[in-house]
Amino acid sequence: MSRQGPLLTLGSVVVVAGLFLYGNAVAAKPGKTPAAVPTPAATSSAAPASSAPLHALYAGRSSGDQVTIAIAINGKKAAADLNAGLASEVSLQGSVTGNLVTLTSSSGTRLTGSVSGADMFGTVSGFLGQSFPFSAAQAVVQAVYAGRSSNGDVTLAVSTDGDQAVAYVCNGHTIEAWLQGSVKGNQVNLAGNKGASLTGSLSGLAMFGMVTPSAGLSLPFSAELSPHPAGVFQARITVNGLATRIGWAVLPDGTQLGVAVIGSTKQPAPPLDLSDGAFTLDGSTFTAAQVAGNANVVSP
Amino acid sequence: MTSQPAAVRPAPDQYTKPLLIALLSGCLVALALGLYGGLHHPTHYALDIAGFSSPLYAKAWLTTIAVVFAVVQLVTGMRINRPDAPRAMTIVHRWSGRIAILLTVPVIIHCLYALGFQTYSIRVLAHCVLGCIFYGAFVAKMLSLVNRETMPKWVVPVLGGVVFVSLIGLWATSSLWLFATKGVHG
Repeated sequence: MSRQGPLLTLGSVVVVAGLFLYGNAVAAKPGKTPAAVPTPAATSSAAPASSAPLHALYAGRSSGDQVTIAIAINGKKAAADLNAGLASEVSLQGSVTGNLVTLTSSSGTRLTGSVSGADMFGTVSGFLGQSFPFSAAQAVVQAVYAGRSSNGDVTLAVSTDGDQAVAYVCNGHTIEAWLQGSVKGNQVNLAGNKGASLTGSLSGLAMFGMVTPSAGLSLPFSAELSPHPAGVFQARITVNGLATRIGWAVLPDGTQLGVAVIGSTKQPAPPLDLSDGAFTLDGSTFTAAQVAGNANVVSP
Repeated sequence: MTSQPAAVRPAPDQYTKPLLIALLSGCLVALALGLYGGLHHPTHYALDIAGFSSPLYAKAWLTTIAVVFAVVQLVTGMRINRPDAPRAMTIVHRWSGRIAILLTVPVIIHCLYALGFQTYSIRVLAHCVLGCIFYGAFVAKMLSLVNRETMPKWVVPVLGGVVFVSLIGLWATSSLWLFATKGVHG
């Protein structure tokens, strides 16, 4: 027995590990289906309305590593950004057929890719006079969409993480709301306190919808998939003994709009240093943090 | 085991082969885990364990409990070979080890299956490397125990030490990090 003990221990570990691996392979379901491989049935007009378009984001690089590539797929539509550094960014639009993605830009850049599971492989031609192959992997969609209401009254930033999302919307002095909820397919549904809500749909690299920062005030908005420094930022501090929560919606150009709720009074948020999240209030320096899409912001 | 270690120490040819087999098996296991983690495409999802706010916290707590058992391992392991060690200590040592290693299995499967071998920060790289070392050392220790009568006395304590230290490292680079950055809760 004393000779077999260690082997039995080893064996039981292997068996348990095998069971877990098997359980994962068989039982676990992905949060979202690997992108954009519509079945032939989905292309027929008889496809039920419930087969919502799939939303997926692929991120990758050219084979030479010089060009970063972001491709967003929404059902049969797709959009992409190619970026080779400063001032050499190209946006492409196109479509998805089966597992093939074809995108073009007005300047003649062309991207073709094929989706294979969680990866996309393809070729880019006519980008800064060059053609090259690329590969991209499906990203866990941690993205920031930032924009404004159509009348410009409120600024908002939405942070997504897989099927979860949070948003901050404000007008910089009196109106503000924290929202959180889900991303299902290309539909975004967020809710906050006191009737605040946001419903949006993802289309290409943008999100369009209706935001209601407070009951009775509904505004159409558009937001773009935005790189750093865009995002939702938050700070919870104590000012003169009053619990204070400050939110900022930051646009990709660094424009920021925020509201500080000190106790129960609202005032414009202090400017946020986007390089390190620092801000000054009442002579003291504090730090704000970027809020991830899976954070709890409504009733934390 | 005895007051005359020099007399009991076996000639090298009695343990060289089993020891080499144990160590090489451990190395192969560590290598295999690393390769699987690196080559298998991470799925970013896996079976959840009920009762926790997220798979991350389930893993953090399982590892933490495993560390508690590992400390029991360390304490009993240091005394187990003394002549006056009670029989119960042997039993506690073996079972605390079995429980500890079994607790880590769901965690490593999640790590390997959903996340894979990643190198994007020092913490993550250290965690992945330690995970491979941990299981490799565990396998080597188990295999060396099979022939422990003929092994030199240092083999099992050294391998056990590697297992313990790597588990503490694993815990520090994952659970402790999670508790420190996201708070201590279920």
